[in-house]
Amino acid sequence: MESDPIIVCRCEEVTLQELHETAKSYQCSSRELKLRTRAGMGYCGGRTCRNLIDMIVNEVTGKSPGHSIPLGYQPPVRPVTFGLLGGHK
Amino acid sequence: MTGRIEHHPILGSLENRKQILFHFDGKTYTACESETIAAALLANGVRTLRVHEEKGTPRGIYCNIGHCFECRVTVNGVKGIRACLTLVEEGMNVESGVQLPVPFKEGGHQK
Repeated sequence: MESDPIIVCRCEEVTLQELHETAKSYQCSSRELKLRTRAGMGYCGGRTCRNLIDMIVNEVTGKSPGHSIPLGYQPPVRPVTFGLLGGHK
Repeated sequence: MTGRIEHHPILGSLENRKQILFHFDGKTYTACESETIAAALLANGVRTLRVHEEKGTPRGIYCNIGHCFECRVTVNGVKGIRACLTLVEEGMNVESGVQLPVPFKEGGHQK
C-alpha cells in the first residue's frame, strides 16, 4: 500500500490509508475527517470524493452519512473565477 | 501513430477532418478540428496534463466530462480551463500546471 497508494481525494492527494487511519484513531464524523485530512477541500469542491469520505466513515465508525453534521454543499456549485462572478467574459 | 479510432465498426471511417496546429508547453502538436484539448493531446501521446500543485505527482484525464477538474490547464493565459471540455483552436497556447512552492507547510504538518 505504501508503494502504490490508493488516492481518494485527488485534488488534495489524500490516500485511502490516511483516511482509514484518521477515521479509526479519532472515530470522527465525515466533517471532522475532512477537516483533519483536507480530503474533499480541494479544487473540485469535494464533488468527486464526498461519497467516498462518507463511506469510509461509515465503514470505520459505523456512523451512517446524513447525521447532524454532514459534509456541506455550498455555492458556488463548481469552481468559478472572481472575474466571471464580476460579470467579465 | 495518431491514437485515434480511424475505422469504427458502427460509426464508420473518420472523415478527413481539418488539421490544426496548437502549442502545449512550447511544443507544437497537430489536432483535428472539433477535438477537445485533452483528446488531441492523448492522440499525440501526451497523458500528463499537469502535476499536483503541492506533491508534483502527474495528473491527466480522470472523469473526462468536466466534473473533476483534474485536467485543468492554462489556455492563452487563462488558468483553470478544463482540457476535456474545451475545443482546441488554431494557434491555441496551452500550458500545463506546475508544482508550486509550499513555504508554510513545514511545522504545520502533523506526523
